[in-house]
Amino acid sequence: MEEINAVLQEIMAGTSNVSVLGLFNVPSSIVASWGVMLFLVIASIFLTRNLKKNPSKSQVILEAGIGFFYNLCKQNLGKHWRTYAPWLGTIALYILFSNLTSLVSVPPPTKDLSITATLALLSLLFIYGNQFLYHGLLGGLKRFTEPMVFLLPINLMEIAIRPISLCMRLFGNIVGGYILMEMIICVAPAIVPVPFSLYFDLFDGILQTVVFIFLTILFTHESIHTEESVAH
Amino acid sequence: MISGSLSLIGAGIAVATGLGAGIGIGIATGGATQAIARQPELSGKITSTFLLGCALAESTAIYGLVVSLVLIFSK
Repeated sequence: MEEINAVLQEIMAGTSNVSVLGLFNVPSSIVASWGVMLFLVIASIFLTRNLKKNPSKSQVILEAGIGFFYNLCKQNLGKHWRTYAPWLGTIALYILFSNLTSLVSVPPPTKDLSITATLALLSLLFIYGNQFLYHGLLGGLKRFTEPMVFLLPINLMEIAIRPISLCMRLFGNIVGGYILMEMIICVAPAIVPVPFSLYFDLFDGILQTVVFIFLTILFTHESIHTEESVAH
Repeated sequence: MISGSLSLIGAGIAVATGLGAGIGIGIATGGATQAIARQPELSGKITSTFLLGCALAESTAIYGLVVSLVLIFSK
């Protein structure tokens, strides 16, 4: 019981601090997220070296994954998908590996509200920034009055609602899964947690990544699409 | 003391958001099974749409969880 309480207290108090090289105190979620970044950088360097016309095994897997993601963007973003794909893919990889760190018994960085809030703010900037880049200043402002003028207040409210719901959805799912896993591990430390871990850590982590990215793609498409791009 | 107990009651009430999520996911599952029964060849596409819809319906319950956690632990 004390252990569960300690976990809950830690979550609500933000996060525990870790001292780096005995010099600074850094929240543990930031350290975990540095680990994820380091892993992603090293993996990308090694996977994209020596790309050949006759692909090796790892290159085939890499190409299949990137092809899958490009296809998703192409289907949902219309004809200008190529500009947006790299950013969305980077965020997708970061969220995916952040959610999956609990498989190697590191608390996931996305259970820190400040990290999910940052990701949601980045999505907000991406969605509305592209709206203004694509339509220009006046055209971008005019988008808020579409499809009808009296929907203007609802469209303006969505600017606040979208990032809050993106942030809370990711945070709540990961925290909920993390708390449940800690409780299960307290009650039955051996074998029993395995299926639960497969569901809460692996399945839910992947699903929440897909939901976050898919919603960002849908909102971006909504803010950039024009009548011609719908008709293709 | 009294406000502490009241916030616990509020946290309990916040769990009622699970009701909406349950109904929503139930309707989505019903629709997905019917769609697969009619067109089994599209089951892959239906399943992925269904999972996305479930995750969206589930988010109301997740908001309830966040609210109840805040109620329990905010002093």
